[in-house]
Amino acid sequence: MAEEALRYLGAGEGAPDSLREQVSEAAKALAAAVRPRYTYKIFDLDCEEGAFRLRNTALSLSGETAARMLAQCDQAVLLACTLGTNFDLRLLAAQARDMARAVILDACGSALVESGCDAAEAEIAARFPERYLTDRFSPGYGDLPLSLQPGICAALDTGRRLGLHTTESLLLNPVKSVTAVIGLSDRPQMARIRGCDFCTLRENCALRRGGKRCAD
Amino acid sequence: MLTETLGKKLLLLDGAMGTVLQQRGLPPGGQPELLNLTRPELLTSIYQEYIAAGSQVIYANTFGANRLKLSRTGRGVDEIVASAVTVARQAAAGTDTLVALDIGPLGELLEPMGSLSFERAYDCFREMAEAGERAGADLAVIETMTDLYEAKAALLAVKENTRLPVFVTMSFDESGRTFTGCTVASMARTLEGLGADAIGLNCSLGPDLLAPLLRELCENTRLPVIAKPNAGLPDPVDGHYDMSPEEFAAALLPCLEAGVTIFGGCCGTSPEYIRRLKEALEGRIPARRHYVGGSFVCTPVSPLRLDGVRVIGERVNPTGKKRFQQALLEQDLDYILDVAIQQEDAGADILDVNVGFPGVDEAAMLPRVGKKLQSAVSLPLQLDSSNPDALEAGLRVYNGKAAVNSVNGERSVLDRILPIVKKYGASVVGLTLDKGGIPQTAEGRVAIARRILDAALAHGIPKEDVWIDCLTLTVSAQQDQAAETLKAVRTVREELGLQTVLGVSNISFGLPSRSLITQNFLIQAMAAGLTLPIINPNQKEMLDAVAAFRVLSGEDTGCRAYVARFTGVSPAVQAVSAQSGEMTLDDAILRGLKADAGKLARAALEHEDELALVERHLIPALDQVGEGYEQGKVFLPQLLSAAQAAQAVFEVIRASIAVQGGAPVKKGTLIIATVQGDIHDIGKNIVRTVLENYGYEVLDLGRDVPPETIVQSVTEHGVRLVGLSALMTTTLPSMEETIRQLKELPQPPAIFVGGAVVTPEYARKMGADYYAKDARQSVEIARKVLG
Repeated sequence: MAEEALRYLGAGEGAPDSLREQVSEAAKALAAAVRPRYTYKIFDLDCEEGAFRLRNTALSLSGETAARMLAQCDQAVLLACTLGTNFDLRLLAAQARDMARAVILDACGSALVESGCDAAEAEIAARFPERYLTDRFSPGYGDLPLSLQPGICAALDTGRRLGLHTTESLLLNPVKSVTAVIGLSDRPQMARIRGCDFCTLRENCALRRGGKRCAD
Repeated sequence: MLTETLGKKLLLLDGAMGTVLQQRGLPPGGQPELLNLTRPELLTSIYQEYIAAGSQVIYANTFGANRLKLSRTGRGVDEIVASAVTVARQAAAGTDTLVALDIGPLGELLEPMGSLSFERAYDCFREMAEAGERAGADLAVIETMTDLYEAKAALLAVKENTRLPVFVTMSFDESGRTFTGCTVASMARTLEGLGADAIGLNCSLGPDLLAPLLRELCENTRLPVIAKPNAGLPDPVDGHYDMSPEEFAAALLPCLEAGVTIFGGCCGTSPEYIRRLKEALEGRIPARRHYVGGSFVCTPVSPLRLDGVRVIGERVNPTGKKRFQQALLEQDLDYILDVAIQQEDAGADILDVNVGFPGVDEAAMLPRVGKKLQSAVSLPLQLDSSNPDALEAGLRVYNGKAAVNSVNGERSVLDRILPIVKKYGASVVGLTLDKGGIPQTAEGRVAIARRILDAALAHGIPKEDVWIDCLTLTVSAQQDQAAETLKAVRTVREELGLQTVLGVSNISFGLPSRSLITQNFLIQAMAAGLTLPIINPNQKEMLDAVAAFRVLSGEDTGCRAYVARFTGVSPAVQAVSAQSGEMTLDDAILRGLKADAGKLARAALEHEDELALVERHLIPALDQVGEGYEQGKVFLPQLLSAAQAAQAVFEVIRASIAVQGGAPVKKGTLIIATVQGDIHDIGKNIVRTVLENYGYEVLDLGRDVPPETIVQSVTEHGVRLVGLSALMTTTLPSMEETIRQLKELPQPPAIFVGGAVVTPEYARKMGADYYAKDARQSVEIARKVLG
């Protein structure tokens, strides 16, 4: 988690030891205090007019990203993961004390919520050993619209299960939260979406500016 | 009447509505409250099944019938609530079954985590509560709450606007906390104090996993306790809950033994679960309760039992502090927060909060400061004022169980303040004085203490919430009084059994080596029975004495805290950098050493003036760090550390100017804000930290700021530069709208924008004057525009 956080800070391998040490301590303390929570549910997919409908929900995934990702899938998992408001409170407290520490905590939080998603994904993979999983993809990746957020949260009942809400402007709240889709297929799935083309932050990414990529 | 039998007889509630509807073919999601209009017959049949199964209370289908959740349906709160209560009433016709108005969470996070204000939340709940009472509900149930603050808003709304009995249940996970970190004890003591009729737990877990938490809840409240658990845990594949009706009913019996008297079911349960539950409870009677109680204050995340010496920090107070007074007059809440944070970090347990000063509207300021402190400090607060309006306003928005400082033996004061203390369930400090002044004998003070206790009891305030201050007098002026104070403390503690408060440092006024006298008096007072010393926690000698006392009293088990404190593990006693003697001010800023920078700045002010310090040291050092950042040799946390070291220098300069009574050094003022709809503001806060440390005055309007507010602030302050941030593509339109409105002003300010998804091209397209890719660039822009 610390390495990941260093990369979010734009430092990666070039980080000075003092910073590396600070980040690793912060990551350790955060992991001890805040546990990512997740919930997921599996839905059958119906392909209708180029869009994938999730059965028994009002959700329909359309566009190129969904088409490419789910082409060989008959089911999809919706996943939501959050660090909860506990993290938000810590970040508020840190910002009031020391912005440098807060920035490090923020990066560690991003890394921790991703590791929560990884854990959920591993659990799903273990539950369905005979199935193949696509890469995890989220609203905001490629052309998968953010407007799916409220529907995904409703289908997973994230308010009750995780204390996770969407705002009117389609942001997830608490701040360190992720929703994602994973396709399930009977055929092996290739890695498709690692890389800058799918990232909403590509225009301003500090790594990209320095000629590096986080997916390398 | 319901409230008369509560806790004395068992009461059976209903089971789930949402999951039963799904079992009967309705898709999940959507707005189930609309079914009151579209499918009343479906609801009626479910209610009738619950009534037949034995439910004595059914919940009307109003869980999400609040203004925020209904906004997209085109339906009003009144219409939905009235129809829901009517449907339930009709189903219950001819039976004794009561109909409850069901109030769930609003579906948005409250401040400080979200942007929904406490006041707006209250208003949404008020609307529901009034509609429910009008429609004929017999009681209100507030359920599935995970934020104690939201539960408080709802409870106040029901109690202040209706005469309905009210239950409150919250949802906890296995760790014993809600999603927002609230503990069982904090919930119990806060909601009981606010006057709920019964409290309990619902949803999230099955009865097996909720049982230990219900036991804990029963130990922490005198109120009847409710259990309304799920039918176990849901399977992620098929959504089925894993407990059968028989297992569910059997698993609730230990909860009955723990003291629960009100039972029902939540997600995954059905009329069959309620029928089994009724059978299991047949012939059973309420169990004896074991209330643990004791004196207590809390925030949601920090419950504080007063079962030893607890330190009340005294520094949030303008008396005799020029810099604090200036902050109050300028409404500089960040400074006040900083004073609070230092005390928390030094080891205070409770913070006294006093904002009374000529020219300050205390009734407006106390709640603002309370909210600000609670956003970043987790300690319980003691609101310190003699103004009843200020106390009421402060207690109203306080999240948790607070203390009030103070009342005294005067009848008129008791009658004015105690009803407010009672209403909000606070603890109260009673000063042992009255219109005759401070009695010169211990007996005289104890007599007033008794009078205060009796008055509190008569107002319904429990004994454990009454704290007595026997008053410290200055020993150099009235030498015989120190012994009288100690004697009074001993009697109040031993004979009345109350918590005792003393403002300790008064003792040493006018003497040299004050801290020696103060520390000695503190030690003697603790030995006499002082439990709540009000002191300056930043004075190491005082907390050292408390640490030692906790060892000798046996409270510090295994001397752990003491050892940690004195072996340097505790950050509170770590010395500042050892070699600061050889370090220059520029070095300290470059290396981000805040404490050293402050110290060196104070030294530098002896031979340089404030402006020279800024121009010759601060700015060049910050520029050097900034250049390193641009070249990729210095990273963001280091840039910010340097900025904060610079801030320490600025704080020294401000204090120095405040003492001389001069105007503060300011290079120019700008406004920054995160635009409406956006809640991610760390980037904006980084910009602010850096700009402030270049000497700019930054008016930070916060996050989720409507365009109108920004325009109004620009006009009001005559500001020439505005910075806007947005993180998400969905909030860019709101940035564009803000720019449009700003450009319509007769003298539009220069605007710079930034944020993860903002690009230089998009910035131009929106009409912004500058694009800042990072905090460093915002400084360049500020220099260009403001100089």
